[in-house]
Amino acid sequence: MAHSVEIDSKEAWGGGRSPFNLSYGKIFMWFFLVSDALTFGGLLISYGFIRHKYAEVWPKAENVFTHFPFVEQHIPLAYVGLMTFILIMSSVTMVLAVEAGHRMDKKGVITWMFWTIVGGAAFVGSQAWEWYHFIIGTHEGGPTGIGGALRNVWDPATSTYVQQVWHGANMTVNEYGVPQFANYFFFITGFHGTHVFSGVVLNTIIFLNVIKGTYERRGHYEMVEKVGLYWHFVDLVWVFVFTFFYLL
Amino acid sequence: MSEFHDHYPNYEVMANHGEEEGKKNRSVLWKVFWVMLAITVFELIVGFLAPGKGWSGTWWLKTLFIGLTIAKAAAIVLWFMHLKHEVKFFKWAILAPYIVFMFYTIFVILTEGIYSGKSEHFTRVDPIFVKQQADLKSGHHGGDAAGHDKGASHDAAPDHH
Repeated sequence: MAHSVEIDSKEAWGGGRSPFNLSYGKIFMWFFLVSDALTFGGLLISYGFIRHKYAEVWPKAENVFTHFPFVEQHIPLAYVGLMTFILIMSSVTMVLAVEAGHRMDKKGVITWMFWTIVGGAAFVGSQAWEWYHFIIGTHEGGPTGIGGALRNVWDPATSTYVQQVWHGANMTVNEYGVPQFANYFFFITGFHGTHVFSGVVLNTIIFLNVIKGTYERRGHYEMVEKVGLYWHFVDLVWVFVFTFFYLL
Repeated sequence: MSEFHDHYPNYEVMANHGEEEGKKNRSVLWKVFWVMLAITVFELIVGFLAPGKGWSGTWWLKTLFIGLTIAKAAAIVLWFMHLKHEVKFFKWAILAPYIVFMFYTIFVILTEGIYSGKSEHFTRVDPIFVKQQADLKSGHHGGDAAGHDKGASHDAAPDHH
């Protein structure tokens, strides 16, 4: 079909048609994604600010995120890299599902959407696994090893501050560094993980509808496109979160 | 073009296409994927090597990562979300706020964030924490095995977060 269509302006503004040669539903999804991106943008800006404020004591991500399933050694950033790859792959399978929808290829849509859902579920599971290890902490704990939080507790018996070695992480204190490190980790990855999870749920609903033949009857697979936009947005946010939280 | 049995407009830009055009589209999409994979692998390798080679925290490393991230984001938005092939007005209606927003973000982080990091006077950080961090950095541990800090104040517990 035509790309970059020229429209007679009288016809364009004459009413009775949705603007930009796009259906209303798709325009709405784009506008929603713009607002959601601003939400994540706000979170990331505040993260950048706090991270630089505590730049001296902020832990290095490659020292904190070193776990890999079924492997005993510490491999920095490997699992996060794998998660990024999984999410990008699921974005690719999603766009292939959309493309299959354009050719009214129902079997193709089913195949590619299935892999997208699998990829999304794998990502959510991996994120949960990362959270588990983050919360449990390391054997050494802080403050040694990762240069993290030195938690001072007032010991009435000796009337001094006693340095307490802390294991794991919660919203108040963590073994890796200042409390804000764990706060932002939970908040940003949690917010993103919720989006991934809701994306998986939406994808599953649409997937079931595709199998039922709803879109064959309608004559177009636009719903797959719309939910595909949401899924790509989720991948987009992860690209930014991955860079700002794990790399910088 | 097939029959639509609902309100789906016939003038929709991305309406259905045939097999040959589908093949072309798919090959473009796979190319974009390979480029994004290459960029991600490159980022991971650099991120892995950076601490060992003392690149961490340098301005050019940050610029490199941010630049590559923007490249990946552009690839996703333009090709996977199909924005490149939309009507120009719509494309810019979505992109222009982002570009402005991104530049502002980077400006704010670099100016306000770094400025606040440099100031020791208005950041209410626990002074014992600061001292212990300094001790850690200089490589000597100020306490004994039980963690008693010999330099600890014997005053009443000061107010700290």
